[in-house]
Amino acid sequence: MLSFAATVLLDGVSYGMVLFLISVGLTITMGLMRVVNLAHGSFAMIGGYIAGYFTQRGYNFYVALAVAAIIPGILGGLCEVTVYRPLYRKGELSQVLLTIGLVFVATAAVTEIFGAFPYPVKFPEYLTRPIDIGFRTYPGYRVFLIVVGAIIAAILWWVIDNSIYGARLRAAVDNARMARAVGMNVNLLFTGTFVVGCALAGLGGAIGAGILTPEPSYSLKYVVLFLIVVIVGGEGSFKGSFVAAMALGIIDTMGKYFIAPAAPYLLYVAVFLLLLWRPQGLLPPKSAT
Amino acid sequence: MKKWVFGAATAAMLSLSAGTASADVVKIGLIADFTGAFATWGVQFQQAIQAYQTVKGNKVKGPDGKEHEIQFVYRDNASAGPDKTKQLAEELVLREKVKMLAGFDLSPHAMAVADIANQAKIPVVIMNAATASITRGSPYYVRVSMTIPQHVVPLAQWAWKNDIKKVYMITSDYAPGHDASNFFGKTFQALGGQIVGNDKSPITETNYGVYMEKVLQAKPDALYMFQPAGAPSVALVKAFAERGLKAAGIKLLGTGETQEIFMDQFTDDLIGTVTSFHYTETNKNPQNVALRAQLTKQFGAKAAPDIASVAAWDGTDLIHQAVAALGPDAEGLKYIDFMKTAKIDSPRGPVSIDPVERDVIQNIYIRRVEKRDGKLNNFDIETIPMVKDPWKIENPPKS
Repeated sequence: MLSFAATVLLDGVSYGMVLFLISVGLTITMGLMRVVNLAHGSFAMIGGYIAGYFTQRGYNFYVALAVAAIIPGILGGLCEVTVYRPLYRKGELSQVLLTIGLVFVATAAVTEIFGAFPYPVKFPEYLTRPIDIGFRTYPGYRVFLIVVGAIIAAILWWVIDNSIYGARLRAAVDNARMARAVGMNVNLLFTGTFVVGCALAGLGGAIGAGILTPEPSYSLKYVVLFLIVVIVGGEGSFKGSFVAAMALGIIDTMGKYFIAPAAPYLLYVAVFLLLLWRPQGLLPPKSAT
Repeated sequence: MKKWVFGAATAAMLSLSAGTASADVVKIGLIADFTGAFATWGVQFQQAIQAYQTVKGNKVKGPDGKEHEIQFVYRDNASAGPDKTKQLAEELVLREKVKMLAGFDLSPHAMAVADIANQAKIPVVIMNAATASITRGSPYYVRVSMTIPQHVVPLAQWAWKNDIKKVYMITSDYAPGHDASNFFGKTFQALGGQIVGNDKSPITETNYGVYMEKVLQAKPDALYMFQPAGAPSVALVKAFAERGLKAAGIKLLGTGETQEIFMDQFTDDLIGTVTSFHYTETNKNPQNVALRAQLTKQFGAKAAPDIASVAAWDGTDLIHQAVAALGPDAEGLKYIDFMKTAKIDSPRGPVSIDPVERDVIQNIYIRRVEKRDGKLNNFDIETIPMVKDPWKIENPPKS
């Protein structure tokens, strides 16, 4: 029973790591720029397709991952400057309409280039085998997700808490006008953060492809999950999105095990209750409290 | 998409040239999804129809000795649901004056044209739409595809005969999935088998780890899956191997998940999976060999036949035969009466049309996934001859 509980926990955490990697960029950009970016999942999808493209052609898996982070990052930067920036002062309706339009563009583009079928990433042989983790054998891929997710979370944590970039970022999230007033180049900070957020989404889409398979409908299918992570965590809160992603991953996994017929709704019930309890999210940034 | 536009352009050109040709033109309206989520259906239908007409010619000699050209007019349902289907069918009947309708990938689309077929008195040749009850919807319906229970019941019987006593079911939570778990469960239990788990997964599920843990604990002899082709079935098979179920000796059973057109997405983990289906891509029937060769020649090395292709091939054959026997201007029900007794030389094997139900009766093949010449594919291990839709046996027509 104990080993089973540990399995459910590991399943939940590995799923949560994928949600975290993809959503963390969204949480920071939404908190920072107040743009409801529904197209965020498309950057993750593009990352997944790129990783699929290169791994299927026999390129090194880690090279493919790097490209899967870099290209969405560059695309994100270009989109920020050309498409998103004019939106910052517009109302939420314009933001939703334009970003959902971007989703359709991305969906049509990958269908045209890669076809209508799901597009799998070929993981290296050692990741597709079960490995011995002491009390049982467990899929190597899930272990990889947990390790990579933990490393990236630790790096982000350090950068946001201890670096000058992190200090600026926190300052701008908490009060963008004040940050501008003390001479910070908030525009540059926005673009930089957007690039990093999209690159992380691309990376998350690539390494998470074993759970969330790249396919044309990817962005529409999963955008709700990513938004839930952001809202439950608290817009703009990096730590909040980590906690929220873990919590949702574990709740979803436990639901499927213990009360399977209700599993599709359980996640939403949990979100509903969490938001009743903490309407600003689990760990909202200071500006929101 | 491009191919479809090209096809439409070709059709338009043909209709222009038909004015000067001596043969008259019999138009058949084909409605399917050529764009959107279900786009592969339309593309596969169209390629098979074009392949058929290239191999066998697009003209038939009628009873009057004159040549008639059979011309398909394609309409894109654009994955937009039954309202769109209705509108397209009306347009085809009124403006294009089609003599028959054909195609229909999804059940609601096929059901939507019953009234139009009844009023216009024209046959509707259904090339997929697998909900069992559909053919009762109008006397003008003829189906050349399949029904879900037709696959599932023989699979449950095969499992029981092959020492599988306990089965765990993971079926997708939508109407065909419910049919699948219902018919598999009751057939298997009636034989004395035990269903040790029955999970319904959301239709878009791709995270099967937890389900597999439950299966491991229930220790069945086999896992029966009914999952939408593509992401869900690929993810299920991956989790099945990753979580050690395959290593534990649990057999994996399914139906349409392992079609050749989806094989690229799977890994070798799929080897050994047993499925039941009405068409095995690797069979050696002359018609199948002809279909495969023509698809490759006409549409490139990647074109592979699937159930949409064989149904379109057979549906086209049925339409050609009907026009050859009765000419271009017979009454709708005369065509239907002819089709009830027609012989179809199908790529899948023996096929006949049930004269009472106007539905397909066909062999069901039990196949195992194997890797031969470096490629995964399905290979027949057993044939269950001439299976009639079990739903119709259970629900006889009211007289």
